[in-house]
Amino acid sequence: MSSMIEVQQLQKSFGSLDVLKAINFSVSPGEVVAVIGPSGSGKSTMLRSLVHLEEVNGGSILIHGKPLVQNGKYAAAADIRKITSTMGMVFQHFNLFPHLTVRGNLELAPRTLKRESTEVIAARSLELLAKVGLADKADVYPSLLSGGQKQRVAIARALMLNPDILLFDEPTSALDPELTGEVLRVIRTLAEENMTMIIVTHEMSFARDVADRIFFMENGEIAESGTPEQIFGNPQLERTRTFLNRD
Amino acid sequence: MNLDYIIQISGPMLEGARTTILLFLIVIVLSIPLGMLVTLMAKSRLKPLAWIAHTYIYVMRGTPLLLQLLFFCFGLPQIPVIGEYLVFDRFVAACLGFVLNYGAYFAEIFRGGLLSIDKGQHEAAKVLGLSKWQTLRKVILAQMFRVALPAVANESITLVKDTALLYAVAVPELLNYAKTAVNRDFTVTPFVVAGVIYLLMTLVLTLFFKGLEKRFKFE
Ligand SMILES: Nc1ncnc2c1ncn2[C@@H]1O[C@H](COP(=O)(O)OP(=O)(O)OP(=O)(O)O)[C@@H](O)[C@H]1O
Ligand SMILES: [Mg+2]
Repeated sequence: MSSMIEVQQLQKSFGSLDVLKAINFSVSPGEVVAVIGPSGSGKSTMLRSLVHLEEVNGGSILIHGKPLVQNGKYAAAADIRKITSTMGMVFQHFNLFPHLTVRGNLELAPRTLKRESTEVIAARSLELLAKVGLADKADVYPSLLSGGQKQRVAIARALMLNPDILLFDEPTSALDPELTGEVLRVIRTLAEENMTMIIVTHEMSFARDVADRIFFMENGEIAESGTPEQIFGNPQLERTRTFLNRD
Repeated sequence: MNLDYIIQISGPMLEGARTTILLFLIVIVLSIPLGMLVTLMAKSRLKPLAWIAHTYIYVMRGTPLLLQLLFFCFGLPQIPVIGEYLVFDRFVAACLGFVLNYGAYFAEIFRGGLLSIDKGQHEAAKVLGLSKWQTLRKVILAQMFRVALPAVANESITLVKDTALLYAVAVPELLNYAKTAVNRDFTVTPFVVAGVIYLLMTLVLTLFFKGLEKRFKFE
């Protein structure tokens, strides 16, 4: 089976700081990968590289077999846009557009890109809002929503472009503990629908529960990877054990 | 102060106020887009463009508006060789001075507005497939104007009062009429009437911007 995401020898540095050191992995269609690891280990940088929010210094990223970057050389701008358009991303701080209503947030990109009629777009935005349980909030501005609601809107917004791959960078870290559940439930539903996802998270029980595979990142490398049973039940490395037992 | 006198001088003074309002409208309509353009230039990756924008802002904000007006009205024609082509109607020359001056202030206000926008907004738009230009138009500018709105309101009210500087370049406007009447009739009443007219204009503006701020509260 061909892989959805293929990453080879990925390297990234900020000045003299090597943040990613030869990262290799691949993700199959429908697979859910949870990325865990200490602060500063490069989790966000790795995720952001996949959607070209960071430019790497070396290595390759192939999405659906198409090279976004190959041996450190990036594709042409138009190709980059095409390749990354199959991926959606959900951020820790939601990054909703405050000047648009919930519906406006969902519809901005599809309406701007004009690949579909406005009726189709409007129908899908209502459908997706219903899916994340916010059908009644369509005409509300984000400033009036709770954190959990904002993040569910952000997920619906990412889904508007029918992505094949969804990336989450700590989707619940900015939320009050009692609001994480509603967001995690939505992500779990997506997993059940076989959405391919990479989720950077500090929610260990959620990672164990929803992921097919866990990457433990440390110091710019995927130090250890395996099924949740392997990583949580019988980690091979001392540092993985230390990280999992830290609190 | 008798009412007949007030009514009698109000006619010519409102005439003067027309010039004031005309200047105000011309300056607002031209200097806001100019400010926008200069802000984008200042952010440009093309260094010479950015340099021109910063220098322009620095010069216009660093020298008195009165000096700039005198320069455009009386200085330009004195420039050797090209001066003879730079003789404008004084009102036009004053408009030019005001637009350039206010353009610099608006540029600075908008720059502040841009700085206040979280970089997550750019990132979200990019991941959603918007181009830089689409992001600017659909995501950034609306938020920038919203943030800048109170400062723009402030600046507009200052502009109403600054129009009185036309007096110094001898373009007849509200204050000019008032002063003439005071000299002629030996009474302070025209100054009071002028004050009331300025207050009315700033009141209308204040209400207008309050309305805008409410309309674009995004909640
Ligand atoms: N734009 C940047 N410029 C310079 N250094 C950066 C930049 N972004 C990240 N870094 C550094 O790169 C390293 C990895 O950062 P990254 O955000 O990927 O870590 P992370 O694993 O996501 O951490 P966290 O769990 O705190 O989110 C850190 O040392 C960070 O300080
Ligand atoms: Mg991070």
